[in-house]
Amino acid sequence: MSNNNYFSGLFSGIKSLLVGLGVTMKEFFTRKITEQYPENRKELKMFDRFRGRLVMPHNENNEHKCIGCGLCQMACPNGSITVTTEMLDTEDGKKKRSLVKYEYDLGCCMFCELCITACPQGAIEFCTDFENAVFDRAKLVQQLNKPGSKVAEKKVAPKPEAAPAEKKESNPETPTTV
Amino acid sequence: MTLDNIKTLEPSQLRAEMQGLKAKGFDYLSNLIGMDWGEEGGLGVVYCVENTATHEQAWLKTATTDRQQPVLPTVSDLWDIANIYEREAYDFYGIIFAGHPDMRRIFLREDWVGYPMRKDDKPEEQNPLRMDNEPLADDTTQYELQADGTVTTKKNVVFGPEDYVVNIGPQHPSTHGVLHFRVALDGEIIRKIDPVLGYIHRGVEKLNESYTYPQTLALTDRLDYLAAMQSRHALCMCIEKAMEIEVSERVQVVRTILDELQRIDSHILFFSCLCQDMGATTAFLYGFRDREKILDIFEETCGGRLIINYNTIGGLMADIHPNFQKRVKEFIPYMRKNIKEYHALFTGNVIFQNRSKGIGPLTKEQAVSFGCTGGTGRAAGWANDVRKNHPYAAYDKVDFNQVLRESGDSFDRYMIRLDEILESLNIIEQLIDNIPEGSYKEKTKPIIKVPEGTYYQAVESSRGEFGVFLESKGDKSPYRLHYRSTGLPLVAAMDTACKGFKIADLVTIGGTMDYIVPDIDR
Amino acid sequence: MFDFTVVTNWIDALLLSFLPGWAATLVECVLVALAIITLYAVFAIILIYMERKICAFFQCRLGPNRVGKWGSIQVLADVLKMLTKEIIDMKNVDRLLHKMAPFLVIVASMLTFACLPWNKGAEVLDFNIGIFFFLAAGSIGVVGILLAGWSSNNKYALIGAMRSGAQIISYEVSIGLVMLTMIVLTGTMSFSEICQQQADLGWNIFRGHVPAVLAFIIYLIAGNAECNRGPFDMPEAESELTAGYHVEYSGMHFGFYYLAEYLNLFICAGIASTIFLGGWAPFHVLGLDGFNHVMDYIPGAVWMIGKTFFVVFLLMWIRWTFPRLRIDQLLALEWKYLMPMSLVLLVLMAVCVSLGLTL
Repeated sequence: MSNNNYFSGLFSGIKSLLVGLGVTMKEFFTRKITEQYPENRKELKMFDRFRGRLVMPHNENNEHKCIGCGLCQMACPNGSITVTTEMLDTEDGKKKRSLVKYEYDLGCCMFCELCITACPQGAIEFCTDFENAVFDRAKLVQQLNKPGSKVAEKKVAPKPEAAPAEKKESNPETPTTV
Repeated sequence: MTLDNIKTLEPSQLRAEMQGLKAKGFDYLSNLIGMDWGEEGGLGVVYCVENTATHEQAWLKTATTDRQQPVLPTVSDLWDIANIYEREAYDFYGIIFAGHPDMRRIFLREDWVGYPMRKDDKPEEQNPLRMDNEPLADDTTQYELQADGTVTTKKNVVFGPEDYVVNIGPQHPSTHGVLHFRVALDGEIIRKIDPVLGYIHRGVEKLNESYTYPQTLALTDRLDYLAAMQSRHALCMCIEKAMEIEVSERVQVVRTILDELQRIDSHILFFSCLCQDMGATTAFLYGFRDREKILDIFEETCGGRLIINYNTIGGLMADIHPNFQKRVKEFIPYMRKNIKEYHALFTGNVIFQNRSKGIGPLTKEQAVSFGCTGGTGRAAGWANDVRKNHPYAAYDKVDFNQVLRESGDSFDRYMIRLDEILESLNIIEQLIDNIPEGSYKEKTKPIIKVPEGTYYQAVESSRGEFGVFLESKGDKSPYRLHYRSTGLPLVAAMDTACKGFKIADLVTIGGTMDYIVPDIDR
Repeated sequence: MFDFTVVTNWIDALLLSFLPGWAATLVECVLVALAIITLYAVFAIILIYMERKICAFFQCRLGPNRVGKWGSIQVLADVLKMLTKEIIDMKNVDRLLHKMAPFLVIVASMLTFACLPWNKGAEVLDFNIGIFFFLAAGSIGVVGILLAGWSSNNKYALIGAMRSGAQIISYEVSIGLVMLTMIVLTGTMSFSEICQQQADLGWNIFRGHVPAVLAFIIYLIAGNAECNRGPFDMPEAESELTAGYHVEYSGMHFGFYYLAEYLNLFICAGIASTIFLGGWAPFHVLGLDGFNHVMDYIPGAVWMIGKTFFVVFLLMWIRWTFPRLRIDQLLALEWKYLMPMSLVLLVLMAVCVSLGLTL
């Protein structure tokens, strides 16, 4: 190594170090970006498309839109949804499927949204709630339909018949039993 | 791209044909895919070789019907990367490559019973959950096919008793995940590296064979989590082409913008982690500060930060958020300013320059032979950008440079990534104001069935060519869905790049190679 | 300037009034030891808190802010956590050496800590070869590090310890030469005299002008390396060797290394402020008598600690800006740059002093 290289290398090296020190010193005085989580709980609002966990919205009469067709259960890659249904006789003598229990295991959900895409009724959606930690894994299995709730009758009255019928036409191999 | 012209070869013809192709300039082996075509079709391999000058691809396949001891000739002496790919085929299908010097399992445990990707294998029955430690053999078997058709074996040594072997990983701060290198040292100098893979092997390709097509999409985000957008884009494009769905211009442009945002995100994380690995913790956090902006853009439009889940077959899950364009336009000048800060703080730093210049060089020939695509290959001067060579989405409509450098050392690999951030910003700038109107999703049938055939689609992911190879029998699940991992060739090249350098350089070289473990292990 | 000997003499007289001479000395020794250990712990806590806050501010973060106001008792909580952690006994280690190593490190650190002159008359270990003693005592620490690496029966620990050995022994050359440079200027090795001289004649860094400033910079670099702190934290090199020589230690045994690291930083800064920045000597400007008089009202201990923390801040600034060197580059920096330069400085200083060119 020639003398020239030795010294020019030394000085350019020192200069580069000083530039770096300048950058950090500048950042030392800039505003900090830390968000203080539990304190900012009030202002902290997740983006509305954020996928926190699956919920089944109920209206004020404790009614939901789920008809228990089980398409979400079939769409789920991980088997995190279990739909339990029963057959009820309606007034006009027909048999009609009705939802008993809609179980959702948050612990094995991978938030792929396939259940929501599959749902013909728009009965389920993701909420933006992100504080999902629990102390017991069993608590991750949630029942989404509230106790005593039933299918909303008025608005979607024609739909429960129409939607599965439409399904049957387009894809005959869709199993109808759950 | 539909592959209806795969050339079928007898195993005995394979080597001559391959040597001929290699001599004709097909020097990049982009895919070597193990296959099980059942009792009649036999066990076999699909090869894809590409000419690096003309970007012409040649697809070949070969198979043997012997399921007890399927033997095929090796090509590992022609392409370095075939070494690892053939081990993968051996691991999953039990295909023995005669002449391969190192026939060990690669992803599964060495005491695994059976070959799980064979259609008749029952992995659950033969492999209970083992509570003992995984054995790691120090020697390996080489199989040779004799003229009379018998197979002889001989032992090759991986690490001898005189080697001072240090385990870097699987729990190690600088292997970026659960990657395990067995490193033979001579003092501080590296003599040999043997990567031990598969610590987070989840059997994604095997799972895909039982999933419906929409379900397979959910797993692409979990391969290379810093190229989630691009991986999913590749699979969606592959299925769309197979089903002949034309997506709208709007979808094309939005996909392009998001792919580039993802690339910036990945490169910022590359910068951060490299700084962290080299001890400059402060620069690490500056990178994270800026990456946060991209993640916010992702979250607002796609609903996820890491697991983005946005592309879908026929378009997008949802239209772009009304704030999307505004936020992206704010981000472009912000990032351009901060890149300067990165350069001032870290690139120019004499300590970093001394630690990266001339460290772990890969020549162009080595990069091609190992199939090190992406920034690693471009740092060595190999123009391998899929966006240029096989344009897709809106890349043929934008004007951008393929950044190339010469020496292929760690410093060049680093600079390539920072320069690509600027190029990506240029691409986004050209598109962000010109997102055409149109539907964000084409109507698809509720049950998606891909017509029978073989399809391949590659994209330029954050760290190289990510390929999706799909073989369909017309069912609602794929018959075989293989992903060309971008990181596997990079890990395979580590031994070559690190040999003779110091243990501290392993961190620099590994950092600048920029591999992501879930993508390697799949 | 307030002379601390007034206090010590008063205590001495008080004890002698009802105790025989040997017992008084014994009681004094115990008192001093308690004071030193308390100071040691208090400074460790302050330093760790300071490092975490300063590092955070350089990194656009807020740092600890959960325990106490602004996270002020975070470190106490950490200490409590560390104290309650199990000290794990491992199968294939050299038990005796493994357990002894952290104590060697902490003993060396405490011995050097005792060398610092806190105030006029408040020196614990003060004799005519003080600097020499400081260098000798400081070198015990490297034995602890080497023993830790060797006895742990771990390849990472061994590599870390070997690096550390090479590093500390190399950089001791520079430290020694730089100190020699300053001894040439002051003509004494006793810390108290060095400080007294600076109180009378002005700080060494001004008196020695060019060679002293350069020596100060070299001392900062070499001292940083001696403390195994970034960018010279090769022995620990988190991203290569996980934790280096102390990878197999848990609980308070690890705590000792942690403590010693921070205190060594403080000691390194303290010695820098003693031999370059005047120790407890206040800041004086020639000719401004009113100003100098005001400065004299600030107690010497405040000057000493203030200057030390200033140097600590400089070292932290460096630590949180630069990437880590590689072991061969580290040694090249010492043997190709720092050592020749300190030799030149020594000659330069000798020339300056002999020609009377000092201020």
